[in-house]
Amino acid sequence: MVLVTSVRDYINRMLQDISGMKVLILDSETVSNVSIVYSQSELLQKEVFLVEMIDSISVSKESMSHLKAVYFIRPTSENIQKLRYQLAHPRFGEYHLFFSNLLKDTQIHILADSDEQEVVQQVQEYYADFVAGDPYHFTLNMASNHLYMIPAVVDPSGLQRFSDRVVDGIAAVFLALKRRPVIRYQRTSDTAKRIAQETAKLMYQHESALFDFRRTESSPLLLVIDRRDDPVTPLLNQWTYQAMVHELIGLQDNKVDLKAIGSLPKDQQVEVVLSSEQDAFFKSNMYENFGDIGMNIKRMVDDFQQVAKSNQNIQTVEDMARFVDNYPEYKKMQGNVSKHVTLVTEMSKLVEARKLMMVSQTEQDLACNGGQGAAYEAVTNLLNNESVSDIDRLRLVMLYALRYEKENPVQLMQLFNKLASRSPKYKPGLVQFLLKQAGVEKRTGDLFGNRDLLNIARNMARGLKGVENVYTQHQPLLFQTMESITRGRLRDVDYPFVGDHFQQGRPQEVVIFMVGGTTYEESRSVALQNATNSGIRFILGGSAVLNSKRFLKDLEEAQRISRSGSHMV
Amino acid sequence: MATRNRTTVYRKHRDACKSARAPLSLSASDSFGGPVIEMVSGSFSRSNHSSYAPLNSDDPGPSSSDAFTIGMPPAWVDDSEEVTFNIQKVRDKMGELSKAHSKALMPTFGDNKGIQREVEMLIHDITDLLRNSEKRLQKLSTRGLSEESNLRKNVQRSLATDLQSLSMELRRKQSTYLKRLQQQKEGQDGIDLEFNMNGKMSRLDEEDELGGSTIKMKKGQHVSAEREREIQQVLGSVNDLAQIMKDLSALVIDQGTIVDRIDYNVQNVSTSVEEGFKQLQKAERTQREGPMVKCATILLILCFIMIVLLVLKNILL
Repeated sequence: MVLVTSVRDYINRMLQDISGMKVLILDSETVSNVSIVYSQSELLQKEVFLVEMIDSISVSKESMSHLKAVYFIRPTSENIQKLRYQLAHPRFGEYHLFFSNLLKDTQIHILADSDEQEVVQQVQEYYADFVAGDPYHFTLNMASNHLYMIPAVVDPSGLQRFSDRVVDGIAAVFLALKRRPVIRYQRTSDTAKRIAQETAKLMYQHESALFDFRRTESSPLLLVIDRRDDPVTPLLNQWTYQAMVHELIGLQDNKVDLKAIGSLPKDQQVEVVLSSEQDAFFKSNMYENFGDIGMNIKRMVDDFQQVAKSNQNIQTVEDMARFVDNYPEYKKMQGNVSKHVTLVTEMSKLVEARKLMMVSQTEQDLACNGGQGAAYEAVTNLLNNESVSDIDRLRLVMLYALRYEKENPVQLMQLFNKLASRSPKYKPGLVQFLLKQAGVEKRTGDLFGNRDLLNIARNMARGLKGVENVYTQHQPLLFQTMESITRGRLRDVDYPFVGDHFQQGRPQEVVIFMVGGTTYEESRSVALQNATNSGIRFILGGSAVLNSKRFLKDLEEAQRISRSGSHMV
Repeated sequence: MATRNRTTVYRKHRDACKSARAPLSLSASDSFGGPVIEMVSGSFSRSNHSSYAPLNSDDPGPSSSDAFTIGMPPAWVDDSEEVTFNIQKVRDKMGELSKAHSKALMPTFGDNKGIQREVEMLIHDITDLLRNSEKRLQKLSTRGLSEESNLRKNVQRSLATDLQSLSMELRRKQSTYLKRLQQQKEGQDGIDLEFNMNGKMSRLDEEDELGGSTIKMKKGQHVSAEREREIQQVLGSVNDLAQIMKDLSALVIDQGTIVDRIDYNVQNVSTSVEEGFKQLQKAERTQREGPMVKCATILLILCFIMIVLLVLKNILL
């Protein structure tokens, strides 16, 4: 809640002191930041009657001097250049500039120089530089997410850009929360270490005055970890509502694009919104598993049908008047029911077509339970099965390889060969690349619960007890990390502090930033953890929100660059 | 949430740049400096009462050739301002209407024709204002995908939302008032019934009974006539409401759907506003002339039939 409210507060403050008709100008990143928390109708209430992108506004030549321009953009050099041109040829009466992150002095100088006609009324920094999709989950929506996997020597400028953007995003989050954290990072990840150190430099040295907030009794904790410590979670198929929609169809800025679906029922929009703030049904079902969702949707449809029937049974004049009064809510309910029914129908179809029940069972076994021989059998059978799609085969082999990397290399090699022969689109060496990036030597955490005796015993106990639902038995590694933090037992060896930071006791607020991207399964884990009221509030953020397709794309991109890089070097 | 104001730093830089440029350009920069500063301070000192504060009416000194000043807005802005002004008037009148309603519903022994007329007048005024506003709102509609048209569409939408909520409020007030009025009348009817029964049961002389029954009959007629009229009114208002709801709902954004997303709107210009207004026009027309048109057409048809019959009769004979 806190991140969403911060961004909304920033936007409210931007608009409230400026009277009259306004035009809001955004760039390609801030448009996501704003759209996910603020609706068009709310903008209209604030008298913002036009929303434009900074790119397209230079093109048009109409002068609209009766409007006041409110710019909300990232302080990148491209934006500054465009803004420079627009200030020199102003189209609007007044210009109010709000930047979503820290401005450099040179940038201010450039803008002041171009503002010959003195149209700029104010220049402010409002730190809403992240996409706050859910109450405890934010993302930076970075396009070149794969850069985190590439060593610095191959593409130093690319990695620098990546790191800068992440540091900006993290700084904005803490400025919005008005906190300065103690920083820890994952020892085995160079990228995480670099980001942690640069964040510390920014917060404690360069902009020390800006971050000098009122100190509370325990400082919050920023933990920077690497996606490659848990490559299993993004590869798994999901069965809880929000995660499943993202995995099977795709969720971007809380919007689902249904264009890929063949036949939509009439009146169904091609794009729909799945937001826990605006949709009560989604809020109560986003973390439920597929079976329960089906039942709840059926109940919702039944309720709706009852309402519809009573609407058709209009006998008296009062009934008519009541129907017309309730028409807007009826229409809204109908739209909502239609949206969820379409989504669940489409997902059921995909589950059926790709035989995901069968595939997912094996995936969960690979991720959670032991038994190399049985696993090999299962994976081989599925590889031989014609109806299993290429991407699912690839995922199965990857999961097997991650788990049994060191056991029985002969069988592992056989699986590689089988995969290569069966999947024509498979980029050779991708699985090996994954192992190089995220293999057992690279990982810090105990991903499969088989490193220390305590975890092995716990796993055996769980296996004997049996699980409630085979398909949702996997817990992401993040869950264990959060437990360690709650118990105050996060090992210094694995997650060292930056510089001379030190944490007294347990933190009350923890921001975990996962370099390389988060998944909705992990955001669910965080939300459920927060609901247990353990006294610690967790916030999760990442450079992107992954599903298996995105994770594989990042891997392929990183592999391609590494290959060409090694050729150059 | 933390923010940082860079305006002072910016202004310092800007002034420094200006003075660096001043020796190069002569009096031009001076004349720009004056009115802009006035306007800046003017816009900051103005406080924002309602959400529809009128535009800066301070006349900029130089002529409209200075593109950077807040120049005269285009003509359609007058229409939108008129509509917002009307909306404010409607809100005030709705307040008066509530008071008048509650006065009319108070049980009185005299006849309350005076207060009823006041209520009817208020309702008439409000509907006139609403209709006027809807007509003016039509003028805002425009074609094309230019920025200006986008702007107008959004202004339209925002005003349409307000109008819709006001009309709904009005109809709701009306229907509750009529319902309570009906209840009151029924209450009086109940008293009549009792009176009647008492009349029958008591062993009064016939004169009294006769007197009582004629009074009852007169009252009964009076009541049924009034009830008839009120039912007609309710029907009428429900009809109006249905029409207005259907038309305005095409304009108003459904909250929580994709149409309410800013990024969706930036990418697509929705054309449904056009359709909505066409329908609004149609509804306006039929609403006003509906019953009369029906009457007229029926009469015409009857005339035709009569003429045909006449001709046939003449032919056959």
